[in-house]
Amino acid sequence: MKILLRKISRVFRNIFLLVISITSIYPLLWTFMNAFKSRKQFSVDNMGLPNELVFSNFTRAIESSEMDVYFINSIISTILTVIIVIIAGFITGYVLSRYVFKAKKIVYSVFMLGMLIPIHGLMIPLFIQLKALGMLNNLASLAITYSAFSLPTAIFLVESFVKTIPPEMEEAAYIDGANIMGTMFRIIFPMTKPVLSTVVVLTFLNAWNEFPFALILINNKALKTIPIGMANFSGEFSVEYTQLLAGSVIAILPVLLVYAFFNRQIVSGMITGALKG
Amino acid sequence: MQSNVFKVKPRLLVLLLLPASLVYGFIILTPLIFSLRYSFFKWSGGKNMDFIFLDNYKRLLIDEDFWHAFGNNIKLVVLIIIFQIGISFILAVMITPRRTLFQAFHRFSIFLPVVVAPVVVSILWKLIYNTDVGILNTVLRSIGLESLIRPWLSDPDYVIYSVSVVIIWQFIGLYLVIFMAGLQGIPDEIYEVAYLDGASAYHRLTKITIPLMLDTIVVAVMLSIAGNMKVFDHIFVMTGGGPGKSSSVIAMEAYGNAFNKFQYGYSAAMSIGILILSLSLVFLSRLPLAIANKRNREGQM
Repeated sequence: MKILLRKISRVFRNIFLLVISITSIYPLLWTFMNAFKSRKQFSVDNMGLPNELVFSNFTRAIESSEMDVYFINSIISTILTVIIVIIAGFITGYVLSRYVFKAKKIVYSVFMLGMLIPIHGLMIPLFIQLKALGMLNNLASLAITYSAFSLPTAIFLVESFVKTIPPEMEEAAYIDGANIMGTMFRIIFPMTKPVLSTVVVLTFLNAWNEFPFALILINNKALKTIPIGMANFSGEFSVEYTQLLAGSVIAILPVLLVYAFFNRQIVSGMITGALKG
Repeated sequence: MQSNVFKVKPRLLVLLLLPASLVYGFIILTPLIFSLRYSFFKWSGGKNMDFIFLDNYKRLLIDEDFWHAFGNNIKLVVLIIIFQIGISFILAVMITPRRTLFQAFHRFSIFLPVVVAPVVVSILWKLIYNTDVGILNTVLRSIGLESLIRPWLSDPDYVIYSVSVVIIWQFIGLYLVIFMAGLQGIPDEIYEVAYLDGASAYHRLTKITIPLMLDTIVVAVMLSIAGNMKVFDHIFVMTGGGPGKSSSVIAMEAYGNAFNKFQYGYSAAMSIGILILSLSLVFLSRLPLAIANKRNREGQM
């Protein structure tokens, strides 16, 4: 009797979990399905599969809503961010984990404070500062901003990873005559690849999805990123839903690809970041 | 030996730390310092800056819109802590046992919404809630619950709940993986011993799992508070803070004052206020854990 009860409860547990999982992915599946429907079919049947695959939603999203421009801007700002975070984050994380100097603890805590500071409180102050310096409407400003938000986690991840590499590595390199930069970039950098890939993926996600700072720092239409473009798009009076959904597919496709290939790094990186913060 | 290898000339050290410090200082530290200064001025972005000292802060203290928005943040925090953390904890407990089918699939799909841009998620949910084409109303109609149909995002009484559902849905996966990591850290032997001693599933949950997971739960609560004090994207896209101001949050208020009313001095004061409020709440949520730890230590002595 007891065994039977346990079996039944296990079946229910599995069914329940399946329902939850499906609820989590269904809205995205729904988006993909409807992005390929004709306007007519969408208005009468938005639940079923598309009768025929309509690609014109995508071409119209690109032509009339300039998704291609936003896409390129997002790529530029994201790649710039990733480059800055990798270089500055690696060097700083390495230095903080290895070198002995007086202010080390203070420098480390100031960077870690960044994980704690509620960045939305910086929206207006940063806007005022960048406006005064004539740095608005500039994808590089956006990239620097995103870099500052991603650096604390990057530094933390690199710092704790380098600690697990035995210092004998560098000692041997110095005996062989390598200098500091050579050791750092030719010996340690390749060894930190696992953690750097986590940093790259997390930084990519943050930069690609970021909305409020792009909203206030960019108002030139030609420089807007995808989230801003999408928000404007959805706020239009006569929204064409299928076109909006096609735009959404374009916006999330890169993220889904990255997630499919790197979901272990993303999950583990977010857990470590969360537990630290 | 080691001390020689890892000592470095101060000049080189500064050079190495420069890139990150510049970026970080320029984006995070200087704006903070300057906004503290601006917060003492009446300033609309032009040349005229009147020093009014604490007047902006006095105004903030009695700004009904701001405190109403802050109330919405608190409502969201409470709803989200209860449901997001509650649901994800239950899910983690259900998924983690090894015999669960499709463990990897569940984790993959429940975490998926976390990586999608909040803007896109909000657009999708705006469609789901839509009164004409929305699937929510279609579903309700098809199961005979027409009476429940309402304008989900334009009824001031419901809007904050409708919005919170979206945020809960999107981020359950984040808390799920955090809890799963915590649960995997509990050694199986503890459960085996408890099982042999005849502890029921309920007792194993309340006497073993929850106490051992307390640290993780507190971290999750903190994360949730920090995350929900900065809610902006979801509200901006789904409701714009409306109808009226019924779903406004503090980040929306700061944005509105700066960009619709051009009150930079006042917005700076509001930003400082937001920082103080958010940080205090985060520290407040750490308090129970700190007290519990202290008590444990004293108990051991």
